[in-house]
Amino acid sequence: MVSVINTVDTSHEDMIHDAQMDYYGTRLATCSSDRTVKIFDVRNGGQILVADLRGHEGPVWQVAWAHPMYGNILASCSYDRKVIVWKEENGSWDKMYEYTGHESSVNSVCWGPYDFGLILACGSSDGAISLLTFTGEQQWDVKKISNAHTIGCNAVSWAPAVVPGSLVDQPSGQKPNYVKRFVSGGCDNLVKLWKEEDGQWKEDQKLEAHSDWVRDVGWAPSIGLPTSTIASCSQDGRVFIWTCEDPTGNTWTPKLLHKFADVVWHVSWSITGNILAVSGGDNKVTLWKESMDGQWACISDVSKGQGAVSSITDTQQSEQ
Amino acid sequence: MEKMSRVSTALGGGGGGAVSGRTMFCHLDAPANAISVCRDASQVVVAGRNIFKIYALEDERFVEKLNLRVGRKPSLNFSCADVMWHQMEENLLATAATNGAVVTWNLGKPSRNKQDQLFTEHKRTVNKVCFHPSEVYMLLSGSQDGFMKCFDLRKKESASTFSGQSESVRDVQFSMKEYFTFAASFENGNVQLWDIRRPDRYERMFTAHNGPVFCCDWHPDDRGWLATGGRDKMVKVWDMSTTRAKEIHCVQTIASVARVKWRPERKWHLATCSMMVDHNIYVWDVRRPFIPFATFEEHKDVTTGIAWRHQHDPYFLLSGSKDSTLYQHMFKDASRPVDKANPEGLCFGLFGDLAFAAKESLISSEANRKPYPGGDRRYPIFFFKKPDLTEQFAHVSSALSVFETGLESGRMDWFSQTARLYLLSGKPFAELCDHNAKVAKELNRPQVSTTWTMVRIMFSDPANPNLSLSAKLGALPLMNSFSMKDMGACPDMGACPDMGACPADRGKEGRSDAAHLEPGTSHISNNDDNEETEGSDGQAEYMFGEAELDDDDLYSVEHDNPAEDQEYTLPQEAFPLRHEILDNPSAPEPLQQDKAESPHVSGGEAEATCLTPIESCSLISATLPLYSAHLPAGFFCPVVRDMLHYYAEQGDVQMAVSVLIVLGERIRKEIDDLTQEHWYTSYIDLLQRFELWNVSNEVIKLSTCGAISCLNQTSTTLHVNCSNCKRPMSNRGWVCDRCHQCASVCAVCHHVVKGLFVWCQGCSHGGHLEHMMHWLKSSPHCPAGCGHLCEYT
Repeated sequence: MVSVINTVDTSHEDMIHDAQMDYYGTRLATCSSDRTVKIFDVRNGGQILVADLRGHEGPVWQVAWAHPMYGNILASCSYDRKVIVWKEENGSWDKMYEYTGHESSVNSVCWGPYDFGLILACGSSDGAISLLTFTGEQQWDVKKISNAHTIGCNAVSWAPAVVPGSLVDQPSGQKPNYVKRFVSGGCDNLVKLWKEEDGQWKEDQKLEAHSDWVRDVGWAPSIGLPTSTIASCSQDGRVFIWTCEDPTGNTWTPKLLHKFADVVWHVSWSITGNILAVSGGDNKVTLWKESMDGQWACISDVSKGQGAVSSITDTQQSEQ
Repeated sequence: MEKMSRVSTALGGGGGGAVSGRTMFCHLDAPANAISVCRDASQVVVAGRNIFKIYALEDERFVEKLNLRVGRKPSLNFSCADVMWHQMEENLLATAATNGAVVTWNLGKPSRNKQDQLFTEHKRTVNKVCFHPSEVYMLLSGSQDGFMKCFDLRKKESASTFSGQSESVRDVQFSMKEYFTFAASFENGNVQLWDIRRPDRYERMFTAHNGPVFCCDWHPDDRGWLATGGRDKMVKVWDMSTTRAKEIHCVQTIASVARVKWRPERKWHLATCSMMVDHNIYVWDVRRPFIPFATFEEHKDVTTGIAWRHQHDPYFLLSGSKDSTLYQHMFKDASRPVDKANPEGLCFGLFGDLAFAAKESLISSEANRKPYPGGDRRYPIFFFKKPDLTEQFAHVSSALSVFETGLESGRMDWFSQTARLYLLSGKPFAELCDHNAKVAKELNRPQVSTTWTMVRIMFSDPANPNLSLSAKLGALPLMNSFSMKDMGACPDMGACPDMGACPADRGKEGRSDAAHLEPGTSHISNNDDNEETEGSDGQAEYMFGEAELDDDDLYSVEHDNPAEDQEYTLPQEAFPLRHEILDNPSAPEPLQQDKAESPHVSGGEAEATCLTPIESCSLISATLPLYSAHLPAGFFCPVVRDMLHYYAEQGDVQMAVSVLIVLGERIRKEIDDLTQEHWYTSYIDLLQRFELWNVSNEVIKLSTCGAISCLNQTSTTLHVNCSNCKRPMSNRGWVCDRCHQCASVCAVCHHVVKGLFVWCQGCSHGGHLEHMMHWLKSSPHCPAGCGHLCEYT
C-alpha cells in the first residue's frame, strides 16, 4: 500500500528536525541539528541539492515556506534564538531578515495564509509567540505575545483565511477584512487559539485535553469544509481532533484520534484536509481518515522500512 | 612557608569522602568572577571584585566558612579576577588581582588576614593564575600586560618571565602530563606553548581563533589534547601531540566562550560558559558539535566561573555568576536539548506523497556496514557489547524518505488529470456530463462517474434526441437497472462524437496531453470491454457507492414529497433501483409504500429475481412524457445540493465546483453564495497550486459568483495614457476625463476600437491590431501623424 518513491540523501551531519515541501510540491526544505537548512529539488523523483543555507548558530528546528506569490521565501528557526527569513533572488538564497527578539530557543515557525500578507508566527521556549509582518522595503513589524505558554511554546499553525460575512458586498479591489487566527501548543499542555482584534493579538480559546507537552498542532486546510478542524499531538501519546461547527468559533469539541504508546511528534494534514498523517516516537507514520460516522480510522501505516533502525538504539540515551 | 605543609586546616577539613549532594545554590553578596574547588571537593572559594569567600559544600546547602576579605577598607589586592585552590596543598590559594598583583593565601595562618605572599610584578590586571599540578611551589600567572610569570613560592619574586610578544594573556594552563609545559592563550587569537625552563622563546605558536582566545584547558587524560574557547563563539580541540597543532574538533556555541573545562571521566565532554548574552552553561560532546549534550539554565546573569567539583566525579558542576549566586548543578537535573528536540520531520506533499525524516542511530547503520570491531556477527547476541550510551548521543543521523501513500483518496494525481480533462462548458449539458462521467471512470473513480451520470439523468431534457433513452431501453429489455443501462449507454454515446472532440478540446487548453490521450482512449475501450464481459458486477459496485452516498438524502426527499411520489413514477424508479443493488434486507418505510404502489420495483434482489422485463420497460416509456411535463425543474435540487456538500466535505471540492458550473442556473440558487464562493476559492487555490493556470482561469471565467469572476480583473493593472492629450488615464473606462475624448480611437480608421487594441507606449497612439500592422509595414512613423517612430514589441 505504501511505497518509498524516493530516499533523499540529505548529507546532513546530524539529526533532521523538519522537512517541508513547498507550495507546488517541487522543492523540499530540510533542517538539522548541524545548523544548516537544505533545499532539494524533488521534481520527478529527483533530489538535487539547490541550496545549503548557513547562518544559524545552533540546531535548526523548523522551516516554513511562504506562499509563492511573495517569491521564494523560507523561514527557519533555531536553538540559537534566531528566526531567519531566506529569499531566493536570481537563483541565490540570501538572508532577507533576521529576527533576534526571543530569549530562548525558537521552536516553531509558520507563515500565515497569503491573504494576510507576508506574516510569520514564531513560537519560542521563552514562552512567547512573535508575529512578524513584512511591511515592505526591508521593514518588518513585530508583535509579541508574551507568556503565551508558560515554560515554552512548541508549535504554531495558522487558520485558513476565512471572511466573516459575505464577500459579495465587498467593493472590488479592496482587501477583505479577514479575521486572523492561529493555534499554538506548548509545554503547559495547552492548545491555545489566538485572534487578532484591532491589531492586537488576544487569546481566543484555551483547549485542555492533553496531559503532557503539546508537541505539534495543525489547523486543517478548509477545502469546502464548513467546520474548523485542528489536530494536536502530545508527549502523552495522544492525538486530538478539535472541531468547531459554531460560526462564532467559541465551542470546540475534542475527539481522541488515538492513544499511541510513544510521544507523538508531528501531525500533518493533506492538501484537501481530509487525511491526517501522524508521526510518533516509534518512527512510524500513520494516516487517518474520518469515516462517514465521524470516527477516525487508521487507513495506512508507514513503517520507516529502512532496515537501519534497530529497537535497541531507539531508546533515548540516559547517559549522565 | 614550611609550616604550611600538611597542617590541619583552620577550617577543620570537610567531608573528604564520596561526593554527595543535590542541585542547590546560595546568594553571594557580590558578583563572582571566578571559583575554585579544593582537592577533596568539600569546599569552594568564590572570588570577585568585591567578594572573596570560602563555602563548605554540604549535602543540602552551601555554608559560608570564611570571609577572606578583611579590613575596613580592603586593598585592591582583594579585588580578584581569578582564583585557584592548590590541588595538593589544601591550605594554599592564589588570586589574580585586577590591580596586577598576584597574591597567595595561607588558610593555615592563625590571623584573620590570611594573605601570604604578594607579587606586584605585573603592570596590568592579572587574568589568570595557575598552580603546577604536581609541583607544590610553582605558580604561573598571565596578565593583560602581555607577560606570563612563573613564581617559586619560596622566593619573594618571580623565577622567570615569559614574554608572549603578543597582546594580553587571557589564560595560562600547565599541562597535566608534560611536567615542563604550559599553554597560554592570547587576545590576538594565538595560543603559545612554553617550556618552563626556557623563558626566552615559546616552543610553538599557532592561531587558534579569530579574535581573543579567552580560555584553554588541557584534557585530564589525553596528554595531547587542548581545548580552546574564543570570542568567535567556537570551542576547538587541538591535538598537540603532533608537530603541528591539529584541530580535531570544533564546537560552535551561540555566544563568545569565556571558560572551558573538560568533564572528568568523560573523554569527549567539556563544559563551557559565555561572558555575554548567554547565561547558560553547556556541556558538549565534542563529537557532536551541533547540539549541547546538557545545559544548566539556572543563572540569571553571565556565568563567570565553572568548576567540576571533584576531579574524578562527572556529576557535580559548580558555577559562580554575575547574578551573585553560587550554584551546584547535578548532572541528572540538567536539561537535555536533545530530548526536547524533535527527531522527526513530517510533511504532506502536494501530490499526496509524504516526506518523512526520522532519526537513525549511526550505531545501527554502522552495524549494517561492518562487523563490530573485535567482534564477530557469528557470536550470539548477548556477546555484543552493550552500546555505550555516550556513543548514542554522539552519532546521530536521520534518514529522509519520500513515500507514496498509494491511497486513491490520498494521492492527488487524479486531481490534476481530472481538472485537465473535465469539460465545463461549450457543449450541451448532457454531453458535458457524459464526458465528465467518462473521465472519472477512466481515472477509476466510479462514484464520481456515476454521480455525473445521475446528474445528467436528473436534469437533462428527455426530448433530447442525443439521449434516446427510450430507444435504448427498448433495445435492452433485460436491463432492469436504469443506471446500469446508462452506464452502458454512456461509452457508446461518447465513443462517436466525444472521441473526435477530445483531442481538439485538449488542444485548446494548450497542454501537452497528447501523450495522455493515447493510453487514455485505449483505457476507455478496455473498460468498455470489461463491462461487456463482466456485465453487471462492476456496475453493481458503482451503484453501491452511489447508494451509500445518497441514501439518507434520498429518503429525506421522499419524505418531503410523499404526494409527488405517488404521482410521478420516475423518481421512484431511480431510487428504488439503487436499493435493489444495495440489497438492503430491512427496507425502510418509503420503500414499503413503493412496493404497495408499484410492485415492479419491489423485486429488490436484482436480476436473480428477474422482474418481468416488459413491465419495467413499458413503465419507463410510459413515464417519460411525464418527466418533462410534471416534474418541477428544481425537483432534484435538494438531492444535488446535498451531494455537492458531501463531496466538498470529503475534500473533493473539484467535484462540487465542476457540477456547480455544469449545472449552472439549474442549481445555483440552491446553494448560498458564501458556500459557493468558498468552494470556488478553494478550488482555484488548489488549481493554482497544481499550476493548472488554464483550468483555473476557465473556472474563474465560468463562475457565476461576482467575487470570483472579478478575480481576473483585479490581478492585472493596466496603465494607459490618453491618445489625445497624452496624460495618464486616471479613471476606469476609455474616456479621458481631461480632454473628454474617447481614448481608444484607431489612429488609422478613426473608429473606436472594440476588441484587440494595440498602442505605442511612446506616443500613446494606436488602434486596431490589423490596421496598425498594416500601417507599420509601409511606414515606421505613427499613423496619427505625431511624428513618433513607433515601436511595437
